[in-house]
Amino acid sequence: MTDDIQVWVKVAAFIGGGMAMGFGALGAAIGEGYTAAKANEAIARNPQISGDLFKTMLIGQAIAESASIFALVIAMILLFTDFAAESYVMVSVLLAAGLSMGLGAIGSGVGSGFPAGEACTGIARQPAMNGRLTTNMLIGSAVCQTPAIFALVTSFILLFTNFSDRPVSPTWAAILGAGFASGFGAIGSGLGGGLVAQASCEGIARQPLSATPVTNVMLLGQAVTQTTAIYGLLISFILMFKGFAPSQSIAESMALLGAGLCMGIGAIGPGIGEGFTAQSAVKWISRNQSATASLTRSMLVGQAVAESTGIYALVISLVLIFVI
Amino acid sequence: MEELGKIHQLIVPFFGHNMTFNLEVILMTWIVIISILVFGFLATRNKGVIPGPVQVVGELFVSQFFALTEDALDKELGKKYGPLICALFMFLLLSDWLGMIPHLHEPTMDLNTPLSMGLMGFVIAHYAGIRAKGFKAYIKAYFEPIFFMMPLNLIGELAKVISISFRLFGNIMGGSIIILVVSYLTYSILLPPFLNAFFGIFIGAIQAFVFTMLTIVYIAVQVK
Repeated sequence: MTDDIQVWVKVAAFIGGGMAMGFGALGAAIGEGYTAAKANEAIARNPQISGDLFKTMLIGQAIAESASIFALVIAMILLFTDFAAESYVMVSVLLAAGLSMGLGAIGSGVGSGFPAGEACTGIARQPAMNGRLTTNMLIGSAVCQTPAIFALVTSFILLFTNFSDRPVSPTWAAILGAGFASGFGAIGSGLGGGLVAQASCEGIARQPLSATPVTNVMLLGQAVTQTTAIYGLLISFILMFKGFAPSQSIAESMALLGAGLCMGIGAIGPGIGEGFTAQSAVKWISRNQSATASLTRSMLVGQAVAESTGIYALVISLVLIFVI
Repeated sequence: MEELGKIHQLIVPFFGHNMTFNLEVILMTWIVIISILVFGFLATRNKGVIPGPVQVVGELFVSQFFALTEDALDKELGKKYGPLICALFMFLLLSDWLGMIPHLHEPTMDLNTPLSMGLMGFVIAHYAGIRAKGFKAYIKAYFEPIFFMMPLNLIGELAKVISISFRLFGNIMGGSIIILVVSYLTYSILLPPFLNAFFGIFIGAIQAFVFTMLTIVYIAVQVK
């Protein structure tokens, strides 16, 4: 029997590592390609500063790649660590760790490509703002990485916490649900945060005098956009750390798996939607700076309404975990 | 790698319940508090029209954050909540940067610190809302746009505390775990200083700023 567990744990580590790096490679590549495309466009527009543009492109791509590097670290740990095979829970732990990091890297990878591309366009348009645009791009793409970092936290907690004393059923489903919640949950927020940062780079290039309010509102908009990713993190924490009573019924396991899926997938839409809201608010603040206060307020209210579907998902997952 | 997630705890029985103290976090928090007090003392010691280096930094903090608070609230409320916002940012910034010194940890790495800061902001925001609008208008805001939205509005308010504190906690915790794991994988050669610069200085400063901004906005939303 022990040999059997050993084999399955190895299988799970390999599949988990493959999924972590496979999904993890998806997003960052799209983001980096977008950056390079925009950089080409910018160089064609303003060939005299092609050196600066090339540098900005590389910096932006390096930041966009960090989500993928997180996935690489998790994949390496999954492939090269000998995991204690004491219980079948370990199988789902390894799968969940890989899924969480792999799915979680998609959004941030694509998202942080947007500000980098727009920064290249902006520098071509307004070469004097090179420094400020690069700083703004760095801040924007760093905040874009937050959902990927949340997914990474979940993966690390899964890998380095000892779950073997928990009952196999329903813990396996709770763990897998935790991976889905933080993995899927990070996709929308990563993408949305990228849209916001993109608008801020464009805005600073259009109207350099508005740099300070644009950066501040960008941070605010990105922070609110990440709220649903944080709900995903919260649900995955509850699923990981709440000890569930052993049960033989498959229904209870599926309730926990459903809770994770519900929160994870439910967080995708609000993340992107809130990103759109903040994107246009930031864009228009640069064009009409005198309306900063009312634009910020309408952005926050609009995001709160767009978030309500994320809150429905949160309520349903909490019901699935605690009531049913 | 074994020290990952281990916390030194002091557990005191208290009328049938166990009170848990995270000793390390308390110690680190006190280090941060004492450093800020020392900084404040140095900044205001020889105040002059021509400021010394420490006074310049102090003035920078105060003027920037007063301006930010006054922009979001109005002149009068800005004066009232400015000191709180300024102190909050300085505390969080120093907390996030503390982990760069060997053998010290960020107090924000423990969920309890961001959560208590978030709860503090929540209580202050609602207190400010009741003061500004009156109790009746404050309660009425929960029943908008239609009365049956009340439970969702309530959950939305509580979710604000969760989101603000988990954001800071997740970022700082994630950064410190990455630094630890990569240092372990590369035997602490070459990479860790860069990671410390990125996750410690850069992300730490951004997240401290985001937390402070959100606290201001939560107050502003309640007041208006």
